[in-house]
Amino acid sequence: MLALDMSTGLATFIAQRLAAALLTLAGAIVFLFIIIQFVPGDLAGILLGPRATPALRAEFAQRMGLDRSVPEQAWLFVSNAVRGDLGNDIISGRAILDMVLDALPNTLQLAAASLLISVTLGILLGCIAAFKPGSLLDTILGVTSVAFITTPAFVVAIFLLLIFSIELHWLPVTGGGDPGDPLDRLAHLVLPAAALSIGWIGYLARLIRASLLEILSEQHVRMMRAYGVSELRIVCHFALRLALVPMVAVMGLGIGDMISNAVFVEIIFARPGIGTLIYSGILNRNYPVVQAGILFTVLTYVSANLFVDMLNALLDPRIARSLKQAA
Amino acid sequence: MNTRMNRRTFLWTTSAALTVPMLTFGSSLAFAARDELIVRIDADIGNLDPANRVGSIEDNIIIAVCQNLARFKPGSLEWEPDAAKTIKQVSETEIEFELNPGLMFHGDYGEMTAEDVKFSFERFNAPGDAGKKAAYADDWGALDHVEVTGKYTGKLLFKHPAPAIWVIGIPDGSGGILSKKAVTELGDKIATTLIGSGPYLIKEWKPNDHVTLEKNPNYKGTDSVHFQRIICKPIPEWKTALLAFQAKEVAHTEIEPTAIPQIKKDPDSVVIEMEGIDYEWIGINVEKPPFNDLKVRQAIRYGVDVDAIIAGAYSGTVQRAKTLLAPRLLGHWADAPVYQYDVDKAKALLGEAGKTSFDCTLTCLNDARTQATAQIVQANLAEVGVNVKINALDGGAYWGMGEGDKSKDLELTIIPYSSKFDPSFQTQWFLSEQVGVWNWQRWKSPEFDKLHKEAASITDPNKRAEKYIRMQQLLDESASCIWITHGVRDFAHAKWLKPAILPNGSNWQYRYFKEA
Repeated sequence: MLALDMSTGLATFIAQRLAAALLTLAGAIVFLFIIIQFVPGDLAGILLGPRATPALRAEFAQRMGLDRSVPEQAWLFVSNAVRGDLGNDIISGRAILDMVLDALPNTLQLAAASLLISVTLGILLGCIAAFKPGSLLDTILGVTSVAFITTPAFVVAIFLLLIFSIELHWLPVTGGGDPGDPLDRLAHLVLPAAALSIGWIGYLARLIRASLLEILSEQHVRMMRAYGVSELRIVCHFALRLALVPMVAVMGLGIGDMISNAVFVEIIFARPGIGTLIYSGILNRNYPVVQAGILFTVLTYVSANLFVDMLNALLDPRIARSLKQAA
Repeated sequence: MNTRMNRRTFLWTTSAALTVPMLTFGSSLAFAARDELIVRIDADIGNLDPANRVGSIEDNIIIAVCQNLARFKPGSLEWEPDAAKTIKQVSETEIEFELNPGLMFHGDYGEMTAEDVKFSFERFNAPGDAGKKAAYADDWGALDHVEVTGKYTGKLLFKHPAPAIWVIGIPDGSGGILSKKAVTELGDKIATTLIGSGPYLIKEWKPNDHVTLEKNPNYKGTDSVHFQRIICKPIPEWKTALLAFQAKEVAHTEIEPTAIPQIKKDPDSVVIEMEGIDYEWIGINVEKPPFNDLKVRQAIRYGVDVDAIIAGAYSGTVQRAKTLLAPRLLGHWADAPVYQYDVDKAKALLGEAGKTSFDCTLTCLNDARTQATAQIVQANLAEVGVNVKINALDGGAYWGMGEGDKSKDLELTIIPYSSKFDPSFQTQWFLSEQVGVWNWQRWKSPEFDKLHKEAASITDPNKRAEKYIRMQQLLDESASCIWITHGVRDFAHAKWLKPAILPNGSNWQYRYFKEA
């Protein structure tokens, strides 16, 4: 009976989260459409540039549906976006969906690598700090973590480039690497991923330390100590598992943050990805490409949050149970 | 136990994965083999169709991949035959050409014939999809038609004399000869798939990562290109481009003037400093009171310290401009007056116009340098008694002023325009017909309009130069423009490289790039 209640609660929770995700996505699509309406000047003129004749502007406006009423345009944009039709790039004529799908894997790789680095190092540093709270090592790690949190990714990126690329010539400055050479891809990934993850390393280290210290002061931990279980085993085997639950919740935001910061990092490292695509779209005033890039960023963010919410509910049954009770 | 082992294994694997590339790849990436050249381009390619290309990045690839009837010599505006065996102007409106036989297009698109020349040039003026006008249609606007007289021979017949065709048409990106068969078969794909007969072919394009030009094994032209492959890497950020150059990841890049001292310290690098031909100025709307009074405009001209702008906003890295056409262009007015900052004279002129003080708006782009310029102008004019409010706009809003007669509300505007080698390209924006479009001074002169038309229709360079100088004198008399600078183009390249750059700084002739 309890298991049935649990699964019903989980299903309700997932359905609610899914609905919220779809609502967010729909809101983003409408918002993207609205902001384009506020771009000063005639959109056709802006896209076609100063050489465009009035006749060409009119023809373009008609082809893009810009001569229709605003609600009609909004519906056209939303319905096309839902069908996966984001139109064609005004400059090259390529399908915008293809352009986004070409760029997206690079951004996802970057975000995933950063996530891996920040989770690994964040947990490691958090555990070390919590192992001897108040020690010199804990203080050093505390200061370092705060420094990491407060340093913007683009500043870190420049420093990493100066050290590892200019001075040491160890790692490349730009590009995404040869697609057929995994090691080359990895070499091109190291610095951008490190730059992107550094803030989160500090943040997660502080979070894990705080959670661990809270857990380590609880009754059951004291009981373990009384039974002679080693401190290392208590921290790594028992307390850490519990400390990971709040971290998972935070990582939903973290993934979103990494994807948005990936835009800046990709620009600095001239790495092909959604960020570079959006940036070049802005430079060329190629707004349909910018819209599509942002739309996919939002989609990734919403999906990541949905995934984290579900994971959290699975890890912590109290969430699903509380929802069931509330229902 | 398994969990602990897994975590440990995981941590070790991650650390190793991150460390190994640091230890092994660095130096091998730092230097490229000499049969390969990596250059930085500041944006990815957009459209490689010569008639609809985006700008000079595509231009440079087009002239490397395609042959033209004639091409520019290395770093020079002098031309020489390319695909043409002979090419000559037989009258003011007729150019005869004969192609070299045996010039083969890439792929299986066959031999170049006069039909391909006709197709390549006439398509600029033929309506495209849904009546779309080609972006560069004006480059061949004077062309009436191309008459094919034989397999390899033909005539370019113009509606009126078109001297600019030898500068912005035949040897430029607009003059790239395409395979008629390829364009017909590829359709819209021509935007990213260029089929020419030049010394290079496009081997690979990875959007936003690189474009690889590979030596064309079937090239039958006269150039002997040095590099087996040239890789163009789009790096939009100037600072990143500089770092990539310093890391020896790219061997050639345009740089900001402020980076020059840094590059000059490196014994393996060379800096090229080129005076620009573009033009930036402060436009004064001659229709808007009180600027409709010539005395007020003259007062503003004396009230702006252009030397302070050069020193402050440009860190002294550019030369001051004194007229529309840059020194190296046909029709440059060498004796143009230079108006020195003179507050007393400015106040006196304002007094003659019955003014002591007034408010006005200075519209400009919102980039840092332009805003610095605007602030200097604001401070200068405050001394004269003119209170300037700065209206800094982003590109979309700023260039939107060119539509629907919005420019009628402008007062003072800082305007940056790019140039082409033929002066007619620059003077066209000051015509009466451009009022309400790009003539934001809204200054109209029937004499200027007449001279523009005449100068664009005669072939004698001396006579043309005289007319362009007179046009600049008329602009000067109107006091509607305060010239700031023609800009500067700076490049850094590896010492082992000898690049070839045309005098505008934008056009790079990859086919002539070689080892020093």
